[in-house]
Amino acid sequence: MEIEKLLTPNRILFDLKGGNKEEVIDELIELLYKDGVVTDKKKYKSAVMKREEQFSTGIGYGIGIPHAKSDAVSTAAIAFGISKDGIDFDSMDEKQVNLIFLIAVPNKSDDTHLKILSFISRRLMHSEVREKLMKAKNHEDVISSF
Amino acid sequence: MKLLAVTSCPTGIAHTYMAAEALQMAAKKVGVDIKIETYGSIGVENEITEEEIKKAHAVIIAADTKIDKSKFNGLPILEVGVQDAIRSPKELIEDAMKLEKTKKYVEKVEKENDTHKQSKKGPYQHLMTGVSYMLPFVVAGGILIALSFAFGIHAADNEGSLPWALSLIGGGSAFALMIPILSGFIAYSIADRPGLVPGMIGGMLSSQIGAGFLGGIIAGFLAGYTIVLLKKWIKLPKAMEGLMPVLVLPLLSSLIVGLLMIYVIGTPVATINEGLTNWLDNLQEGSAVVLGFVLGLMMAFDMGGPINKAAYTFGVGTIAAGQSSSVMAAVMAAGMTPPIGIGIATLLYKKKFTKEEKEAGKAGLVLGISFITEGAIPFAAADPIRVIPSLMAGSGVAGALTMLFKVRLAVPHGGIFVLPIPNAVEGVLLYSVAILIGSLITAIMVGQLKKPME
Repeated sequence: MEIEKLLTPNRILFDLKGGNKEEVIDELIELLYKDGVVTDKKKYKSAVMKREEQFSTGIGYGIGIPHAKSDAVSTAAIAFGISKDGIDFDSMDEKQVNLIFLIAVPNKSDDTHLKILSFISRRLMHSEVREKLMKAKNHEDVISSF
Repeated sequence: MKLLAVTSCPTGIAHTYMAAEALQMAAKKVGVDIKIETYGSIGVENEITEEEIKKAHAVIIAADTKIDKSKFNGLPILEVGVQDAIRSPKELIEDAMKLEKTKKYVEKVEKENDTHKQSKKGPYQHLMTGVSYMLPFVVAGGILIALSFAFGIHAADNEGSLPWALSLIGGGSAFALMIPILSGFIAYSIADRPGLVPGMIGGMLSSQIGAGFLGGIIAGFLAGYTIVLLKKWIKLPKAMEGLMPVLVLPLLSSLIVGLLMIYVIGTPVATINEGLTNWLDNLQEGSAVVLGFVLGLMMAFDMGGPINKAAYTFGVGTIAAGQSSSVMAAVMAAGMTPPIGIGIATLLYKKKFTKEEKEAGKAGLVLGISFITEGAIPFAAADPIRVIPSLMAGSGVAGALTMLFKVRLAVPHGGIFVLPIPNAVEGVLLYSVAILIGSLITAIMVGQLKKPME
């Protein structure tokens, strides 16, 4: 799987500053905006938050995967951030979240990107993958975790 | 054991796959096989096949979108949100494993597949459901009665003895349930669970008023469609909806079906029985061969219904004085050929019967030689238009031949088990010839008329 195509080095923050869910999401959106993936921050963010309203993407196990499909996204991409202290994400298991993956998908996306996303989602359910991600120091560590 | 699962979430990007993975991991841990279909934005992946549905134990649907459940028709379904599968996959797997999987689910699925293939649906399918549930009752009950006969045909009269017990299990219980089960499951097939109550009650009434299995089939369809109509017509306020399945539907449908059975079906049945008895009395004056033929036709027509009963009672009446009679001999011969004939047909025409029917056919041979006519009922009920005339032709000929050969019988039942009784039968050899010829006629007619299985 070519995860690095979606999760490039400049789409990772190893030390998220944000103290709550929204701030962290803003930080990660900023990354994708700078990278030219997100063309309209406001529009994309409202799509992400709308998705969060349905039910939190804090799926437990210390992971949050806010995501949205929007025409404010030019190409499928992932931004990844680690919060050392952990933040409250309204998770299902009520635990703090340390690993946050922000997923951006354009309205029309080709299957290879979607397949990579589904692969990542599946891998995140495995504890050894999550442990490696927590210890990741650089882009290579993150990619090899999967 | 194999489980199936479907996962789906609103965006179809992450949760669908996380839930699938979580279930997969949990299933592995529990040690159960699972196949998971994912409805994501990529589309449907790892699609579940019809074959897998047939073999599966249960389905877990973990979805926050609408999933078409119709393809899992009949399988027990555990429905939860997609996040439940991510949060507590192991519990879900364990719950799904505990779900009841009864045989009827599989049959329902298979039946539906059959329906696709044969493009037969509706009444035929309902009838087949009823018959397939009735069949084991007939086989088990019939063989137990035959075993009781093996102790001597009057051995069951001795209360507390083993033959008495066998007769009580087979005749008093299994055969007593036969028609209620037939009607009950015809209605069940039409109207699901609520159909069972009026169906079984209607079937029981059919037995009690002497309307036999044909009355039972009527009761089954009556009960099924009564429920369908009641469900359509009765609209209760939401707070009272719970009363529908426990009180309103069973009560009203049983009342309607019961009254119809007693007054609309029961009255003509009694009249038919009476009329036939008088008619037979008159017929007795004429040709013995004709009388034998007519009795034969009657014995095979409804096997336990009013027409059969009229013939049988008439036959028993002729030996009441304790002397042997050729009429009784004709009646018993005609009652033996239907199951024997069907049994032979299942051996000769293998392509025209289901696996289940072939096994029942072998039992039919045993039941036939024991004069347990009921052995042919499941076949007659499943395909009355082709099977009943075949049974009648064979029985009619057997009855006529018995008269022609001047065979006489001194006991009212027992089939082959009367042979050891001194002087019970006069003309054993010719009697066997008559029964064999009648059975072969039935076998060949059934074989020719029935359509091959697909």
